[in-house]
Amino acid sequence: MGIEPGRIQFSWISSAESTKFVQVVNEVTKTIKALGPNKNFVKRPVAETVSKVA
Amino acid sequence: MLEYIDKIKEISTRLLTEKKVDIIIGFRKGTLPMSNEPCFAKNAEDIKSFVWDSNCGINLANYLPNRKEKIGIIAKGCDSRNIVTHIIENKIKRDQLVIIGVPCKGMIDRKKISDMFEKEITEVTEKQGKITVKGNGVEKTIEKSKVLQENCAICIHRNPVIYDELAAEKVEEQKNVDRYEDVRKVEAMTPEDKWKYFDNLLENCIRCYACRNACPLCYCPTCFVDEAKPQWVGKSQDPTDTRTFHFLRAFHCAGRCTDCGACVRACPMGINVRAFTKKLEKDCFELFNWEAGLSMDERPPLDTFKPTDPDEFIK
Amino acid sequence: MKVIKIDKKKWAEGLNKLRAAYQLIGPVKKDTYHDFQVLDKDQLPDFDFLNTRMSPKSIAFPQSEVMLQYSLDEAKEDHHIMKEVQKDASPRAVFGIRPCDAKALMLVKLNFDTSDYKDPYWIQAYEASTLIGMACDNPSSTCFCTSTGCGPYNEEGLDVLMVDIGDHYLAKIISKKGEELLEKAGWKTSADDPSLIEKKKSQSEAKITSAVETKNLKDKTILDLYEAPFWEDISFSCLNCGTCTYVCPTCWCFDIQDEAHGKKGVRMRNWDSCMFPLFTLHTTGHNPRETKVHRVRQRFMHKLKYFMDKYDKGIMCVGCGRCIRLCPVNIDIRTVCDKMNNFKASC
Repeated sequence: MGIEPGRIQFSWISSAESTKFVQVVNEVTKTIKALGPNKNFVKRPVAETVSKVA
Repeated sequence: MLEYIDKIKEISTRLLTEKKVDIIIGFRKGTLPMSNEPCFAKNAEDIKSFVWDSNCGINLANYLPNRKEKIGIIAKGCDSRNIVTHIIENKIKRDQLVIIGVPCKGMIDRKKISDMFEKEITEVTEKQGKITVKGNGVEKTIEKSKVLQENCAICIHRNPVIYDELAAEKVEEQKNVDRYEDVRKVEAMTPEDKWKYFDNLLENCIRCYACRNACPLCYCPTCFVDEAKPQWVGKSQDPTDTRTFHFLRAFHCAGRCTDCGACVRACPMGINVRAFTKKLEKDCFELFNWEAGLSMDERPPLDTFKPTDPDEFIK
Repeated sequence: MKVIKIDKKKWAEGLNKLRAAYQLIGPVKKDTYHDFQVLDKDQLPDFDFLNTRMSPKSIAFPQSEVMLQYSLDEAKEDHHIMKEVQKDASPRAVFGIRPCDAKALMLVKLNFDTSDYKDPYWIQAYEASTLIGMACDNPSSTCFCTSTGCGPYNEEGLDVLMVDIGDHYLAKIISKKGEELLEKAGWKTSADDPSLIEKKKSQSEAKITSAVETKNLKDKTILDLYEAPFWEDISFSCLNCGTCTYVCPTCWCFDIQDEAHGKKGVRMRNWDSCMFPLFTLHTTGHNPRETKVHRVRQRFMHKLKYFMDKYDKGIMCVGCGRCIRLCPVNIDIRTVCDKMNNFKASC
């Protein structure tokens, strides 16, 4: 639907897998930072978006 | 398909006079060409107004949830699959229903036909796979196969999957149909193009919710867009809110959608609403080998777990 | 009334002159239908349509409209104070309005411009608009305006009524506003044969084949109609979507909402629909119009009975036929109106 690959990630981490947790968090942060802020799905102030005449 | 009606009327009259059911849900002729109106019959007299032709695209399963009486219902392939889904989801009981199955040869797309003519269409008739359209001095005969609803053109379950009576001999199912050509096109787009594609699709949405209300799956007592405490989605014409509605609705239909096309048919603005649900329908088919509403004994993929479930997206 | 002849060769030129004084709005062809929109520079309105898909009621009553704005930032002096939003009240000229839709604006006016209550937003937009109607020569099979107190050449609500005569238009001046507009466009030639309008009017009226019967509605008692047995049958197929109310040029209901974005927020109104359960849901959880039978009955009773009883201005329907054409399940107001009109209470 137009969300860049990498912005949504899923992982299955047991409470015992602390190293995997750190590794995944680091990877996710790195990917998302590289992608930059999400422009889509951010609602702009309504006043800007609903001024259609007809 | 026109010839089905005598048999439909005969079965319906019998069911009512023998008191097997309290009402029968079917179609009567609409006041406009290409628009039959869903209706109910409570006695043999009411049955007289029943019709059956290529304009019965509304999904009648939509009229079942929460009804208490014994119901006879006329069901095409897709309607029957949605009836199965209703039964699985406890919206109606199997023993409340007498299903009059109708092997279907596809419904015509009224928008497609109207768009083919500059002038207003005043009469549409059909005969042996041909549709004759009349309006303001114009008359034209078209092959029905050329003007089918898009979902009907790629349908591979034309015969009812569940029924108590059949209105006609079963029809041959379509083979070698490429069901997902349109989805593949969207899949191949870049994220930016996908975003634009869906933006354009929704440009004319007026938030009337006809798509949701025509959908047999959308029976939630309170839809998330109507929730007021808290309110999840804004009510204005803001594109983010409109988009949120359509995508969330599509996800809510994942693994349940039968691609009956009721949403598209209902949309007064001509939006191809199926573009939202179809990718999920494809995923369910490819990942779980699942097609909704084919079996009463199997649970839908999203409310079961199997060790063999593909889970490649989880790291 | 004065009738002006506008040569079609002078049409674009006149419109261009108007652009200096007015924002131009008109029907534009999009894909396979027409809708009103603000015309771009050099863009001409397209009159080759039966009627627009959406009605022009949004000219004064947009589907979403910001009314007030506020700030929650306590560093600001005027925080938590609702303030009016500055709106564009500059003159606009709306071309190609069908007489039915113009009459509909007059019915909507009964709600937004009353002696007790004056809706500033609607009135401001309405007063800024000069409405140039386009008479209807090819009514569609779902048009029944002649039986709703309207007609294909009806002048109510318009400032100018234009009639297409082939190589020129005849423009009948109805109001001062209309006269000014024509002057500004430089269209000044008087018509040689204004009687053409009357002739074309009767031709067009004769083409309207569809009608509703409303004469008995006034004398029916509300409760008899309310308890009539046909509502279950009429409402059965209804999906309770908002299509009929949203495309209707006379439906005026709205819902007011606040929406905050960070520390800034707006109070806005959005179209609402009596077809939605949420429309009447009380905070207690009780809903006085709980089922779709209630809601469908409400819509038709409001349009065809309550409105008539309250305002004595006929029915709240101008016969444009949009709800009939766009209803996903073919609920037809003409059928319902006839059922109500012909209803005889059993006792």
